[in-house]
Amino acid sequence: MSTSLLQQVLGEAIGDDESLFDEPEVNFGLLDEYSKREIRRAILTAVAVPGYQVPFGSREMPVARGWGSGGLQVSLAIVGPDDVVKVIDQGDDEGVNAVNLRRLIVSSTGIPESTTPEDSTLIQTRHRIPEDPLDERHVLVLQVPVPEPLRGVERDMRELARMHAEADYARMWVSLYEDKVRNGVITRTTGYPCLVDGRYVIATTPIPRWDVPRLHQSRFLSLFGAGREKRIYAVPPHTDVEPLTFEDVPFEVEVTPGATCRTCGSSESFLVEVPASRVDGGGHWVCSDSDWCRRRRERRDHPSNGGDS
Amino acid sequence: MGYAAARGGLKAIEAAERLVARERILGESSWLESRQMIEKLRLAVDRVMGEGGLWDEDLAASALRQAEGDSIEAAHLLRSYRSTLPRLAYTTPIDVDDMDVLRRIVPAFRNPPGPQLLGRTTDYTGRLLQTADEDTLRTAAEKMAAFLDEQVTPEVEVGHVVSGAEPTDDERRPRRLLELLRDLDAVVDRRRTDDPEPFDITRHPARPPATRSARLATMARAETGALVNVWYRNILGPDGYLHEITLGEVRHGRLPVKVVHPITGDEISVTEVRVTEVEAIEDLDGIEEDRGRFDVGYGLCFGHNEKKAIAMANLDIACERDKGRSFLEQSILLTTDGLDASGFLEHLKLPHYVTFRSMMERKAAVRRHKETT
Repeated sequence: MSTSLLQQVLGEAIGDDESLFDEPEVNFGLLDEYSKREIRRAILTAVAVPGYQVPFGSREMPVARGWGSGGLQVSLAIVGPDDVVKVIDQGDDEGVNAVNLRRLIVSSTGIPESTTPEDSTLIQTRHRIPEDPLDERHVLVLQVPVPEPLRGVERDMRELARMHAEADYARMWVSLYEDKVRNGVITRTTGYPCLVDGRYVIATTPIPRWDVPRLHQSRFLSLFGAGREKRIYAVPPHTDVEPLTFEDVPFEVEVTPGATCRTCGSSESFLVEVPASRVDGGGHWVCSDSDWCRRRRERRDHPSNGGDS
Repeated sequence: MGYAAARGGLKAIEAAERLVARERILGESSWLESRQMIEKLRLAVDRVMGEGGLWDEDLAASALRQAEGDSIEAAHLLRSYRSTLPRLAYTTPIDVDDMDVLRRIVPAFRNPPGPQLLGRTTDYTGRLLQTADEDTLRTAAEKMAAFLDEQVTPEVEVGHVVSGAEPTDDERRPRRLLELLRDLDAVVDRRRTDDPEPFDITRHPARPPATRSARLATMARAETGALVNVWYRNILGPDGYLHEITLGEVRHGRLPVKVVHPITGDEISVTEVRVTEVEAIEDLDGIEEDRGRFDVGYGLCFGHNEKKAIAMANLDIACERDKGRSFLEQSILLTTDGLDASGFLEHLKLPHYVTFRSMMERKAAVRRHKETT
């Protein structure tokens, strides 16, 4: 089922001589069953207490800490033989780290992979929510570099624990207020702090503000895995997720007036800029969700193959 | 399946892996044997076992080879391998006095109880780089080996006297300086009963306020350079938690590892590990402290790694005396793990264009606001 690194590297050179790669088979989903059970228990707690950062005994994974080790542990703890996995990084299925994580999940489980949310059940992502609508069939696993939303206002972990326990978010509000007063706008970029179910403030990984409204009263389960910081938290389906802002200061998502995707023409997706270069001339914009963009382009070029959805 | 997209990412990764492999696995020199690394790069292998939290010299050597000599990367390979294994048993507590001592020094006394045993060290060897060509060095090494083989027993330095005799039991398992100080009632007694089970940092995240066992376990597995740096910040940096440490014991030796037999219920010795152990005697000088007595900090780590064990013992007593007043405990628990720090540092190489786009948008928003007001 799985192949060793040596086999992956030398496979072509050495051919099919399996005896050269006499390494022990790994368990389904790499982790041993005791570890998976422990992680699933943390996930259940996270779902039961939306937004609460559940400590767990994070394992060292075959990817470095900071490279999706938390998301990978969550995915491997919940993945089953009937799942179909999609992995994206910055919205792109072909990003090299997305490819590496997908390769690890697929090679250690034998489950099929897909790039289309429609065909997928388990979607692991770094910093985006797919543009397609997700529903009850989907579990979204988000890789979290910094799970603590209050670290910008408090460094002492003992005090941070107290603030969350007492829902004392006063200093967060003050920092947002000072931001607005000093800069005229709230300058928070990605990972915008949100109040979950009216109780815990979470860091929305660093997904862009564009994606934040998608978490509110969503039909899908979102699981946030922070491997290095050893925390798991969740936004269950049909749960309030409110970005922290003031009554008279609307929450703003990333929009650049007039920008459209150069390849599919979209102005209703999260766009990333391709800067001007001396070779290509002027800059332009493209969709960050590469698979959504591809399907949109195909529908445009071949309208008979499927209508607009 | 809807999966039909180009697989450029995978091709690039595979090409990168082949580039590494061609030099590392297939390069012009002969295969780098694990045995060579265990014998000749002993300290590197020991360090990987310590930071990897796994005692297995062959696996550590293999990891070091696979990591092209990067000790943190090798520790990562060991730890992620361990994540695939179920934990089936726990050892019984080890009595460190069962250590078969290979090296032991007591800087606090000229003639302490038991020997000053220098053992295998380059502490007092001039750091003169061997610049002769490899053939000459190899010939010299072979002559040296032949000379040593002629000697019936290895040279052992006991009490600053080089003797050819096998060390006695008392020399192998010397009494501790700390026992002497306790006999003299010169050490504060802070034995406690509220931390009976050692905190398992591989199963629970250690966060402040933590038990002493959590701090010790964290430091035992910490990256050597990180611990040395936290210690040195006290000397020339901004922290200053430490005072006057005198080393009471620096030991390197073999310890038996025992488990309870699942059927007979007897305690049986299953293997041996080598450890470095340090006791650091602290001259208490705080207002609320017992100025008439000393206190002691403790360090123990896998393999022969004196830098790490000394830093650990120093930081153990510093943390005890700090009593949560500063960020020292948080620094130890949260910032000394090699995998955590280097993994997060290196993740900056990953694409960040979604977050960067969001930042660019806010910069434009701030500038727009300034222009319109």
